Amino acid sequence: MEKYRVIEIQRNVYAKNDEEAAKVREKTREENVFLLNLMSSPGSGKTTTLVQTITRMKEDFKIGIIEADIDSDVDANTISKTGAKVIQLHTGGMCHLDASMTSQGLDTLETNGLDLVVLENVGNLVCPASFDTGASKNAMILSVPEGDDKPLKYPKMFRIVDALIINKIDALDYFDFDIEAVKERAKALNPNIEIFPISARTGEGVQAWCDWLGKQIKTWNGA
Amino acid sequence: MHELGIVINIVEQIEDFAKKNSLTKIDKLVLEIGELSSVVPKYIEDVYPMAVEQTMLQDTTLQIIIVPARVLCKDCHTVFNDITNKCCPKCNGHNLKLVRGQEFNIKEIVAY
Repeated sequence: MEKYRVIEIQRNVYAKNDEEAAKVREKTREENVFLLNLMSSPGSGKTTTLVQTITRMKEDFKIGIIEADIDSDVDANTISKTGAKVIQLHTGGMCHLDASMTSQGLDTLETNGLDLVVLENVGNLVCPASFDTGASKNAMILSVPEGDDKPLKYPKMFRIVDALIINKIDALDYFDFDIEAVKERAKALNPNIEIFPISARTGEGVQAWCDWLGKQIKTWNGA
Repeated sequence: MHELGIVINIVEQIEDFAKKNSLTKIDKLVLEIGELSSVVPKYIEDVYPMAVEQTMLQDTTLQIIIVPARVLCKDCHTVFNDITNKCCPKCNGHNLKLVRGQEFNIKEIVAY
């Protein structure tokens, strides 16, 4: 009988993804491309927020967008009207983007010469939080109709992001949404989180978010 | 549902490892899954046969070890594992840190 051995591997399952993510970061650093991973639930206003952001920032930065969805190119179509370079990535049923998919997206987009690339992740507050995409910074959107309990329900997402956009503040009067409670809950999970209450519909608060993002891009690109 | 993609990725990592270490046959794969990791052990078991089909792991058995969550109270240094508790059961403090329960590891393989 052949001799068998028990081989200890003790390797984190996400290790391979982390290696890929490090490669993405190395590449974007070399090319001076700032990669923002934008996450949220479906319907939180990611695309509308992006359109507002691009409109305000396109004078100063060359912008590319990677739209990830299980299917369709509705969002890519909307974004392309702003004049930003955009590609649509179909995840084929996957509920999150990982680093190797991000890397493929960056290659397809041809990032050379761009200052900012936004990765619009699949609408989901759960698994995108577990997969490092290799982004320079991570941001999420929580919209008022979703409720102020979301930091309690999806703590991991709130823990890993650098910035939290609270969207649809123009609808605050119609919902039992305690914005101070959200801020407090998010800060308890992540003391360094930056919070931007905005309305992507009216444009309120969007400039503060763009100013923060602009500063991050300049720091990353060494300008 | 992302378990299938994750298991396919694990299979690739094991095949890589087997190639590098000149292993000819694998009998068993042992995974460690934390109670608070973002995967569902039952789904991992369900998709496993599909993910290993026509790979080196085709005839392997899968064992999953569940790692219970452990929380440390940074104020009084009590360690507890009731994760439904929002505060320390001893001093009621909120200065808590999750020390175990989020891991997802390929622990070991049994191979020839």
